[in-house]
Amino acid sequence: MNFALKVGVSALAMAVASSAAYADDAFWKEAAKPYQDVTLRGVTESTPPSNYIREVLAPEFEELTGIRVDIETTSWDQMYDKAIKDMEAGTGIYDMVFIEQDIVYSYLARDFLTDTTKLLADNPDLKAPTYSEDNFTTFADYFRGENGDLYGVPMEAFIKIYLYRTDLFNDAEIKAAFKEQTGRDLVPATTHAQYAEIAQFFTKWGEDHEMDLWGTTAQAHTGHPASWYEFFESIAPTFGVYNWGIDADNNYAASVANGGAMNSDEAKEAMKWWLSMRDIAPPESNASTWTEVGTTFGAGRVAQGLVYGENAGWIAADETKSLVVGNVGVALPPLQDGIMEEVEGGVGYIGYYDGGAFGIPSTSKSQEAAMLFLQYIGQDEVQPDWAVAAPRVTNKTTYDAPKVQAMNEELGGYYDLLRDKGYLFAGAPAYPFHAQVREATAPILYQILTGDLGPEEGLDQMAAKAESELTDLGYRK
Amino acid sequence: MQSNKLGWILLAPTLVILFFFGVLPFLYVVFVSFHQWNPFAASPEMIFNGAENFRRIVFDDAFLNSLGVTVAFVVFAVLSELIIGYLLAQAFMKEFPGKSIFRTIHTLPLIMAPIIVGSVWKLMTTPSIGIIPHYLDEWFGITMNIGTSAPAAFMTIVIMDIWHWTPLVTLTLIAALVSLPRDPFEQAQIDGANKVQTFWHITLPMIIPAVVATVFIRLMDALRTVDEVWMLTGGGPGSSTRFLGVHIFKEVFPKTNYGYGSTISVIVLYLTIVVCWLLYVSMLAPRKNRKG
Repeated sequence: MNFALKVGVSALAMAVASSAAYADDAFWKEAAKPYQDVTLRGVTESTPPSNYIREVLAPEFEELTGIRVDIETTSWDQMYDKAIKDMEAGTGIYDMVFIEQDIVYSYLARDFLTDTTKLLADNPDLKAPTYSEDNFTTFADYFRGENGDLYGVPMEAFIKIYLYRTDLFNDAEIKAAFKEQTGRDLVPATTHAQYAEIAQFFTKWGEDHEMDLWGTTAQAHTGHPASWYEFFESIAPTFGVYNWGIDADNNYAASVANGGAMNSDEAKEAMKWWLSMRDIAPPESNASTWTEVGTTFGAGRVAQGLVYGENAGWIAADETKSLVVGNVGVALPPLQDGIMEEVEGGVGYIGYYDGGAFGIPSTSKSQEAAMLFLQYIGQDEVQPDWAVAAPRVTNKTTYDAPKVQAMNEELGGYYDLLRDKGYLFAGAPAYPFHAQVREATAPILYQILTGDLGPEEGLDQMAAKAESELTDLGYRK
Repeated sequence: MQSNKLGWILLAPTLVILFFFGVLPFLYVVFVSFHQWNPFAASPEMIFNGAENFRRIVFDDAFLNSLGVTVAFVVFAVLSELIIGYLLAQAFMKEFPGKSIFRTIHTLPLIMAPIIVGSVWKLMTTPSIGIIPHYLDEWFGITMNIGTSAPAAFMTIVIMDIWHWTPLVTLTLIAALVSLPRDPFEQAQIDGANKVQTFWHITLPMIIPAVVATVFIRLMDALRTVDEVWMLTGGGPGSSTRFLGVHIFKEVFPKTNYGYGSTISVIVLYLTIVVCWLLYVSMLAPRKNRKG
């Protein structure tokens, strides 16, 4: 290609790109005209992805369209409290609410949400040329109703991964000591036995060398649902106990006696293994939620652990918060024998695929304007910067963006794992009674954690309590 | 007659606000307490179930446990605050170097929001990271873990509450002590009364109204404590610090059990009124009788 041709092609490409951008801007300005006096109000959990919406995307959208957007970022509990009260009372305060993957079935069961697919089909003038449901990864399927329509625009998605310290795993002295002690190479575990061996080794290593170093994390708060989630969403599935051990097709049975698996031998084995890991985890583990687990890892206090992907970004790359920058590797969680084959065969999952979407309450008084904003944050164009600011990927093309590829290197291949192995993970089961069963059974789990109840007796009680709660709620006949 | 009418006119805005934001919500809670209502149940509508919720509460182990730990907390915390507050008030009645600085520092916790107090104490008590377990271990060889030890968690909350609210008691009692007449004390001194006798027969009877008012305020606050506990322990370990406020919160918000949660709220309000009434009768009635 000669120089003149190169210049010509470049000029043509620039012209096409700039005219497309102009056309896109023109769409937003035109579509927003009827809503100039509208102020959109949204409520979401204060997380890095949500903060990016409030600080970057909302101001950009305001500047482009003239529609004012107020995004309220608050605690997880407050977020639910405010959103549910608003939708239940029908006050219409919020035009957008954060829908965590595990609550969407409860919201759909109550008709709390607007069908965004239908809204766009009924209002073709609102449809942005740069927005398409096809752009989303399969994670968007969690926010589809029974009719296949989308009820929320995905805004964050991540998996709970096995994070390990590459500096420790590659340290020659440590590797030699591990080999001498165990007879095998120090590499990330693929089984629970291997994981436990590594955890025990590093906790002992920390003791022997007077280091603040332990072998594993444990999200084992004795009064916060985080521990409940760690067990049922991250540990139990790796032992083959799926959907919290509740069989929705069998009258929501939870106990083995009735056909459930919450107190099965596998669940009890999982609980004993988890407790044994908790016992050699840092002392703060009994007061750790998902946030503190990330902090513990970022403080360099553990060699390995199960960590929510939303924290992987700052742990691996933010020197102002993390002491292990550049020393983080990612892997799949350790499993019992046969689980991977089972999951590859389409039964169950190996860990938690978490995330959330922004939805429009049925009670919103500005649904069309809100739909414009949701399309804006759902475009491919805004995703790469968002993914770098907060490790989350909801659109397929985001993986290939150069910025994201660079970030992937820093994160030890986290995005590759999310793209290639994400199908092995799953969100919460499609239960409309999510928080109700959790809160009914969690106090018993806390008693197991404090040692007031044995794991076997405790799980038996949890299964019975889950069934009685489901009966009270009218789901179990 | 004219001034009576003017009084009602001036009171009207307050009464209207009180009706809509106090009386009406209370009546609604009472109404809901006679219903089975969970918006995420298979039947999400409100179903009247008579006194079933009130019957259930009597046999509810979780509620009874919460009631027990709350009563223990109230007794420990309020009694300690009263004793420490009185001693500090007496100390502030005397002159000593640095008094004004100490009084200012002593009052600072009062201006902190409960949620902040809970956060700060969480940072101070988190096992192996917090300054308190660190120095307890280093100086005394004591392992403190509020994530596993129920007594440690409970006592930490009591101490946190004392730290937060004793200044209020101190300030109230200072105000009461300052306003006391000097004559009875001079007379007692002439009659040869010692300090204990002076306190028991003169000071205490004269400051009883202030003490009762302070106890009422602290009692009602302590019975509905949520924020600090929520931040510090979340009600754990287990259910060892699941006070009534936390229990109601968990029942009403995460579980969305609006009907039963309202019932617990009504019962707690009733218990608070009964306890305050008993306190009032036991502390003030004998005094009135003496006067009579």
